Amino acid sequence: MKNVLVTGATSGIGKATCNSLLNEGYRVFALGRDVEKIKDLLDQFSEQLHFLAIDLNSYQEYTKIFDEFLSGQKLDGLVHCAGMEETLPINLYTPEAVQRIFNINVFSGIELMRFFAKKKYSNEGAGVVFLASVMATLGQAGKTGYCASKSAILGMVKSLALELAKRKIRVNAISPGVVNTPMTQKLFSQIEEDNIERIKNMHPLGIGEVEDVTPTILFLLSEGSKWITGQNFIIDGGYSIQ
Amino acid sequence: MNKAEFIKGLEEELELEITLTAETDLKGLDEWDSMAAMLLIGYVSNEFGLTLTADDIKNISTVQSLIERIGVEKFN
Ligand SMILES: NC(=O)c1ccc[n+]([C@@H]2O[C@H](COP(=O)([O-])OP(=O)(O)OC[C@H]3O[C@@H](n4cnc5c(N)ncnc54)[C@H](OP(=O)(O)O)[C@@H]3O)[C@@H](O)[C@H]2O)c1
Repeated sequence: MKNVLVTGATSGIGKATCNSLLNEGYRVFALGRDVEKIKDLLDQFSEQLHFLAIDLNSYQEYTKIFDEFLSGQKLDGLVHCAGMEETLPINLYTPEAVQRIFNINVFSGIELMRFFAKKKYSNEGAGVVFLASVMATLGQAGKTGYCASKSAILGMVKSLALELAKRKIRVNAISPGVVNTPMTQKLFSQIEEDNIERIKNMHPLGIGEVEDVTPTILFLLSEGSKWITGQNFIIDGGYSIQ
Repeated sequence: MNKAEFIKGLEEELELEITLTAETDLKGLDEWDSMAAMLLIGYVSNEFGLTLTADDIKNISTVQSLIERIGVEKFN
């Protein structure tokens, strides 16, 4: 059985990824903060699914993930879905606010990889998927922190892909457009109705559902993608081609 | 933070030419646009940990109505 570590497993894209992996027979090591939100999957897949509640901003706790939670199992995959989104005009982007968004969106990913890259924690040929965003390559007013952090992921993915190639570990990013998750619902609650309509209309195929994104994640963890590394896959219903 | 400090802070964030008072109609300001709304939401979130929704913004008129939405008891 192949082992995959999934962060952000309690919500949205991360939870849907867990669900697909479990149905495909993977063993899933899931990380999140609020266990209540993944109770249903834990009940349904009690053998295959393991959960650890952890705040990924507490870097000193990461040895718990790799030295205790995995209990000696080596990983064949890592999907880093934990992240935050925010709208904050530049006037309000204090160093603390920048730090906050980079901590979870970027630095946690680098710290996870510092462990994952070690032979004792991962198998040769493993697949790693980072969640960037179309906002990694596009811009939007009020999104300095989000766009900068998502762009940083693309740089990190390319460097890591080169560094880990000798172990046949592949590192890729996916860049979704607007996907219907709790993150998007929160965003939509903050903007006006006609603005929401405008955002929906900017996606030629409509806004996405989590099931539109997870197949690519599973593909990037699978054998079929063993010659693909350092890439960014845009999955956005056509948003970015206009 | 008291009411006067809040109003002064808001005036600075929105970079207003005029002096803001509790009675000022926010949406009547020359500077009022979607970016100003974004600044207002960010300012309130930073100071009070409260995220205003689009509906809140729609319902707010004067600075006083904003203060009431945040909760008068939060000002000392
Ligand atoms: N939804 C979209 O439209 C969209 C588009 C492009 C990219 N993305 C990216 O895709 C990823 C997943 O998005 P989503 O929509 O599924 O988001 P979501 O529903 O808001 O879920 C975010 C997840 O991250 C976890 N998380 C956040 N901060 C954490 C922390 N400090 N420690 C541990 N876990 C933490 C949350 O855990 P708890 O809930 O347990 O606290 C939750 O499981 C994000 O990186 C996002 O930027 C999303």
